[in-house]
Amino acid sequence: MIYLFIGILILIALLGAPLFTIIIAGAMAGFYTSDIDLSVMAIELYRIADTPILLALPLFTFAGYLLGESQTSQRLVRLTQVFLGWMPGGLAIVAFVVCALFTAFTGASGVTIVAMGALLYPALQQAGYQDNFSLGLVTTSGSLGLLLPPSLPLILYGIIAQQMSSGVQISIEELFIAGIFPAILMIVMLSLWSIWTNKKNPIPRTKFSRKKAFQAIKDSAWEIPLPFFVFAGIYSGYFAVSEAAAVTAMYVLVVEIFIYKEIKLSQLASIIRESMIMVGGILLILGVSLAFTNFLIDAEAPMKLFALCQTFVTNKLVFLILLNIFLLILGAMLDIFSAIIIMVPLMLPVALEYGIHPVHLGIIFLANMQIGYFTPPVGMNLFIAGYRFNKPIVEIYRATIPFMLVLLAAVLIITYWPGLSLFLIS
Amino acid sequence: MPIKTTNKTIFFTRLSLVLQKIEDSILVSLLLIMIFMAVLQIFLRNFFDSGIVWSDPLVRVLVLWIGLIGAMAASRTDNHINIDIISRFLPPHIKRFTTLVVHVFTAIITAVMAWVSLRFVGMEMADNIIAFGFIPAWVCEIIIPIAFAVISVRYTSFSINHLIQLFSPRP
Repeated sequence: MIYLFIGILILIALLGAPLFTIIIAGAMAGFYTSDIDLSVMAIELYRIADTPILLALPLFTFAGYLLGESQTSQRLVRLTQVFLGWMPGGLAIVAFVVCALFTAFTGASGVTIVAMGALLYPALQQAGYQDNFSLGLVTTSGSLGLLLPPSLPLILYGIIAQQMSSGVQISIEELFIAGIFPAILMIVMLSLWSIWTNKKNPIPRTKFSRKKAFQAIKDSAWEIPLPFFVFAGIYSGYFAVSEAAAVTAMYVLVVEIFIYKEIKLSQLASIIRESMIMVGGILLILGVSLAFTNFLIDAEAPMKLFALCQTFVTNKLVFLILLNIFLLILGAMLDIFSAIIIMVPLMLPVALEYGIHPVHLGIIFLANMQIGYFTPPVGMNLFIAGYRFNKPIVEIYRATIPFMLVLLAAVLIITYWPGLSLFLIS
Repeated sequence: MPIKTTNKTIFFTRLSLVLQKIEDSILVSLLLIMIFMAVLQIFLRNFFDSGIVWSDPLVRVLVLWIGLIGAMAASRTDNHINIDIISRFLPPHIKRFTTLVVHVFTAIITAVMAWVSLRFVGMEMADNIIAFGFIPAWVCEIIIPIAFAVISVRYTSFSINHLIQLFSPRP
């Protein structure tokens, strides 16, 4: 009977029902069979209002949407081009760096491919890169930068891990630091590969020009300080992560509307609506999952899961390999936010038992999810790129696979070398 | 497919447009208040070593409200996070049925959720629980049943439209 119910729920989920309804149905069924009053669902949902850090979610999302709608992408490309364009493989490296920075602020919601890809794809082709290479590059870069602060998935992982209160203290500031070197590793490996694969196809470099550099800095003068004061503010203890989000939102709002004047006041309502629809989707799943997770923990599900794992896997390394495979599949099927909300409460206690640091687990989790975005056949960014650049999906698959292999190698290094993520954290 | 437009359907279309406008303006004002309050609080703390006592709880409740109203807005166009694996590859004539099933399911679950949270709000109201300052808790919580009720109504109307389309003769 129970299995039939679970089966039906999974079927309805796969047919495309909103994920939050599936979680509600599961949690309600669980509470109902344990004779707990169902109004507990509302009590758990209300916990959203008891979690101060969640403030960061709507504010960073809003700031990201504003940046996505303005001309920031163009200025950022010009700026990076001036300073990195003279290197071998210049424009490709520019593309990786720019996309990573942009994604860190806008979240990997496809904005990067739509806004950055539109600039970079023609620019790469014009510079002489092959079509296949350029296409693969912009598709892959759409999720590059997930590990860089202040990316929303990083924050969300931290929030969920804190909610677990499983005896381990984990701070979002630590996650922010931990992601930096793995992200740099990915960018370096992708850049090296780009240089190597284009060695028979010499791309003309652009010379560094002081005049152009000055102009580019002047154009972006209001946006360059943004990452610096966010990080400086957080790490100096001047403000908390959620406050940094508030300052960022306010700053971006003022700069884009009143200084650059690229967003009209009349556009503001629709930008707010679109960004808050995304926030609402995430918060709703988070809220109902708080109830479901509580039920699972009461039922000692993580411990049972660990016991089950133990019968098959006794070795930490084997566990990590299985974790990687599982996360890659998960990342291709589920969007990153639901994956974090649903899987971390189950996975974190198990991973802790295997001796994996919670911060390291977060980095592994997100690094795998990042690849899931363009894992054939259903990675979300493949469809976005196909739609945006008007290419058949199979062509996108083919173009992306080499980049995916490079990033898989990076993920393996990140997984089996905890020090890369953890060495700055005591 | 021509569906007869009666005065009634025109009325409902108007009503839903008005509702959308209200949602939009609430979202805009809540977010701007939230940004302003949060920044003001930092400013007061760092420069005047003071702060507004009710600001933090207010901003936290605003997060809940914005999230739920955002979720209401998402259901206008069935834009909720879902697993989009099978439906992407289904042929259209089968997809019409599966979409109907999914929408009816969503309408029922959200209706139940609206009902149980309304009961919760009722209990809090009866117990005179205060959230912060002089604001009673039920005022902060009332958005939960409202949001789920609105979502349920929207999915019910999707379902009815699907049914009409399924049973109306094809041209």
